[in-house]
Amino acid sequence: MDSRLRRRLERAFADRLQGPVNQRQDTTEIRIGAEGVTDVMRALHDDSEFKFEVLADLAGVDTGTEMWVVYHLWSAQSPDWLRVIVGGLSRDDPRVPSVTFLWNGAEWAEREAYDMFGIIFEGNRDLRRIYMPPDYTSFPLRKDFLLPDDAARSPGEGFRHMEQTHQPAEFLRQPVVRRGKDSLAPNRGPRQ
Amino acid sequence: MSVISRPWNRLTLAGKIILPLLALMIAMPIILLVAWASGLLPWLLGIGGQVVTDNIDVVRFLMAATAILLFTVPTAFVIIFMEMKIIAFINSRVGPNRIGPWGTLSSVVHGLKVLVKEDYTPTGADPIVFTWAPVVTYLAAVLGLLVIPFAPGLVGLDMNIGLLYFFAISGLAVVGLMMGGWASFNKYSLLGALRAAAQVISYELPLLLAPVGVVMLAGTLSLNQIVANQAGNFWDWYVFQQPLAFLIFFIAATAEGNRAPFDLTEADSEIVAGFATEYSGMRFGFFFFAEYVAVFILSALTVTLFLGGWNAPLDVAPLLAMLGIELAPAAIDLGGLGMGLLIIAAFGVPLVILGLTLLLAMLFSHWGWIKSLVVAFILFNVIVGAVVGLWAYMSFEVVSGLFWFTAKTFTLAFVFVWMRGTLPRVRIDQLMGWAWKWLVEIALLNIFLTAGAILIIQELTRR
Amino acid sequence: MTETTTRSLDDPDIWVDTPATIYDAVPPYPPRTEREAEFYHLRDGEMLLNLGPQHPSTHGVLRVVLKIDGEQVVDLDPVLGYLHRGVEKICENGDWHHAINQCDPLEYVASMFSEAMPVLAAEKLLDLQVPRRAEYIRVLCWELNRIASHALFMGWLALDLGGLTPILYGFIERDEIVEMLAAVTGQRVLFNYLRIGGVNGDINHDFMSRLADWMGRAGKQIETTTRLLNENEIFVRRTKGLGVLDRETALRTLCTGPVLRATGVPYDVRRAHPYSVYPELEFDVPTRTEGDSYARYLLHVDEVRESIRIIDQILHELPDGPVMAKIPRLIRIPPARAFVAVESPRGQYGCYAMSDGTDQPFRLRLRDPSFFNLQAVGLLMPGNLIADTMAIMASLDPVMGGIDK
Repeated sequence: MDSRLRRRLERAFADRLQGPVNQRQDTTEIRIGAEGVTDVMRALHDDSEFKFEVLADLAGVDTGTEMWVVYHLWSAQSPDWLRVIVGGLSRDDPRVPSVTFLWNGAEWAEREAYDMFGIIFEGNRDLRRIYMPPDYTSFPLRKDFLLPDDAARSPGEGFRHMEQTHQPAEFLRQPVVRRGKDSLAPNRGPRQ
Repeated sequence: MSVISRPWNRLTLAGKIILPLLALMIAMPIILLVAWASGLLPWLLGIGGQVVTDNIDVVRFLMAATAILLFTVPTAFVIIFMEMKIIAFINSRVGPNRIGPWGTLSSVVHGLKVLVKEDYTPTGADPIVFTWAPVVTYLAAVLGLLVIPFAPGLVGLDMNIGLLYFFAISGLAVVGLMMGGWASFNKYSLLGALRAAAQVISYELPLLLAPVGVVMLAGTLSLNQIVANQAGNFWDWYVFQQPLAFLIFFIAATAEGNRAPFDLTEADSEIVAGFATEYSGMRFGFFFFAEYVAVFILSALTVTLFLGGWNAPLDVAPLLAMLGIELAPAAIDLGGLGMGLLIIAAFGVPLVILGLTLLLAMLFSHWGWIKSLVVAFILFNVIVGAVVGLWAYMSFEVVSGLFWFTAKTFTLAFVFVWMRGTLPRVRIDQLMGWAWKWLVEIALLNIFLTAGAILIIQELTRR
Repeated sequence: MTETTTRSLDDPDIWVDTPATIYDAVPPYPPRTEREAEFYHLRDGEMLLNLGPQHPSTHGVLRVVLKIDGEQVVDLDPVLGYLHRGVEKICENGDWHHAINQCDPLEYVASMFSEAMPVLAAEKLLDLQVPRRAEYIRVLCWELNRIASHALFMGWLALDLGGLTPILYGFIERDEIVEMLAAVTGQRVLFNYLRIGGVNGDINHDFMSRLADWMGRAGKQIETTTRLLNENEIFVRRTKGLGVLDRETALRTLCTGPVLRATGVPYDVRRAHPYSVYPELEFDVPTRTEGDSYARYLLHVDEVRESIRIIDQILHELPDGPVMAKIPRLIRIPPARAFVAVESPRGQYGCYAMSDGTDQPFRLRLRDPSFFNLQAVGLLMPGNLIADTMAIMASLDPVMGGIDK
């Protein structure tokens, strides 16, 4: 536990913190609101008293009542992991500012959180689904996602290929050119 | 009947054509022998003789082309087997060891396998160009063999512009690759084909410029004459007068044959299989036969130009004469033995085999008599084969020439395989830079140096 | 370059005009983001090339859509998800013990690390003290597995550059190690050996004799491979100066592991945020400053040497005692949150775990290093030739099991 870090955090973000700075084992935890993400993260990354250069993790969490985005940061100046919980996001329309302006590598992590929880990261230039098919409508890691129901409700359900699911009808009606009975187009997947 | 018809139906069109041809190939010597013995052939030749003698060049060309076409198949098989085994050794693997003794027949089985595999044309491909591309590539590889002198007198066509003919024909291979890559309707194939075009055309320059020094020394473009000029001991070979040219030629040949480390056209970790991505069955087989035949041909040409062709590395005759030994080829007159020959054939051979069996059975008492007999038979054959081979080697120039030519060629083919097992692949810009920035310049320098040296020597000898 | 629109997703007629679209990389739906619209908008002379998902050298089923101009890569769009099985959801539906073998196949090349994640997280949530012998055995297995993974990396890199042999040399080394680990864990690839509170079974004689035998010539095989590559002119020329990441970019892209250390940042979780018994062991964190593919390759070689040092110390200091803490079979973890991280061969493997008092994880977030390292291809590949994309991707050493989760 790093009490110096706690004091510094309390001093720097007194007005931003929602609740006390928790410290347990080797982790210091602060909780902020979505409106404070940009400032706090910028300060944590840039200020010489923090210098949290490494974003160790970015996770979305669905607690059942609200959405969280959880950041874990590492700095050479502190022996602790710093956990920044952005809580209190509504489950209907969770919106958080993106941190890609500090760590452009957070782009995929944010895409993943969007894909799994539907959390919208404002400022991420490429916020689309990363794992699930593009026409998928559910968010699998939400607590109200029940596998058979929600998967079946999605248009991407079934054993169809991602790219062929939503082909425009005109194209599907085009005859496939076949030359002789021996010719065979073996692979209709993404090719070339 | 279904025993025959079922595998026959499985054959693709190419297989249905090639398999009867193979059968015919095996049957042809027997038919010819019977025809000759029964007097049919001489009679036919008597009629056709006039036509043949009138068009002897055409006939000779056709005969040589056919013979060489048939010759390429076993050559490719041997080189494929060599590659599988040697790369396995380099990789510390076992390699093929199931079919035939030490896996020697695996490459033959691979050849049969591609015959029965499905031969499909992808949707969107240009079927005509797609079908003819492997043929063009294969023919370009094979026809180059026509001018290679295998042994004194054993040359398909002794052209006085043999070297030019060779380069003209082997340059056609890239047309086949381009056809295949373009017609496949696949971007990987297209990339492979474009790489092939860039690479082969770039390396054609050093490949052509390097032997110019040799041509200047030999004063001829005929490969036969070039080999004849290198007669004598191994220090008479052109590799010692043209070491630079040899290196350039070998590097350029590696690139020309699309072999590692210059195998960018079929770089499997980058563009899947390059121009051959969409090919299957015998068409794919043709591409790969062409590649291995190209390895053989390029090795053969390097041997011809730089390593003395069919000349033995040491001319032993003067050496032996100095020592006072005269090894005249033993002219055995078998007919002179008369009945003795029959007696030797009828009783001598079994007696020797039985004697060897007895000897082996006594030496290795734990062997059964059948094993001793079999080993004795093999041993007898080996001994007789060695004796006959030695006799043939000493008596006939063709045999000795063929022996040395084959030995040198396969040594070079081994080097090709060795490089493939060891080296990573170069990048396309490094490859092109290497050709245009170094090889061409050094080849030109080599030409100037050679010309200067020839001039100086001529001046010196004139005085 | 003149901006001639050859094909754009906004144009509804493209599907009818070009019958070849079925083979095309352009996705058949309107662009979802500006970035996607920009990427699939082809300028004059540009072409899309689908690299994968079935491709010899994408290390699994990664699909990268390359936008190429001739042989030069202009832009690229990695498409993930072909191996996605929703391991985080699966972990939430099983209990804590099940999570161990569900996490095993994430990093299938070094699964001792990914299976450690739920174990370490549960121990931290429980405030559980693991017996020292178990900790030492864990570190021993981790370091062996690291060598096994690095040995394969060298082969892979060479294989993607067209060298046939080093991959088999790497497999010789790896095979010895996985056989050794199989002697103690019972599995060659997916070990399922770590348990909450210790390890599953003490090390046995078979393992120790194999290990002692291997330690006698440890690194010799690695030296053979490196001798084959280090002085190979073609290999050096193809990797040196290729895919250069500088320190700032690597940190901003969240690269960890050898990719980050090759840029000069000594960020190794074993030293940066020590766990297990690493503080007691003596080893260095090798770094290099070049940040190119060659530096990454050399860094792997250095790390193998350091791992051998660690194994040597463990063999000398291995304490006696039990290998499992005394904990009940059914664990109910009181509500808490914990973040753990280990240094896997590819970088920082992290796990954020939440418990809600039941015997199942409430949320188990896995942070895979290859997922973030792979993101660097977007920065490294443009401007290079297609052949170099392979060298770059291989030098980042992605494992798709972990990336797609």
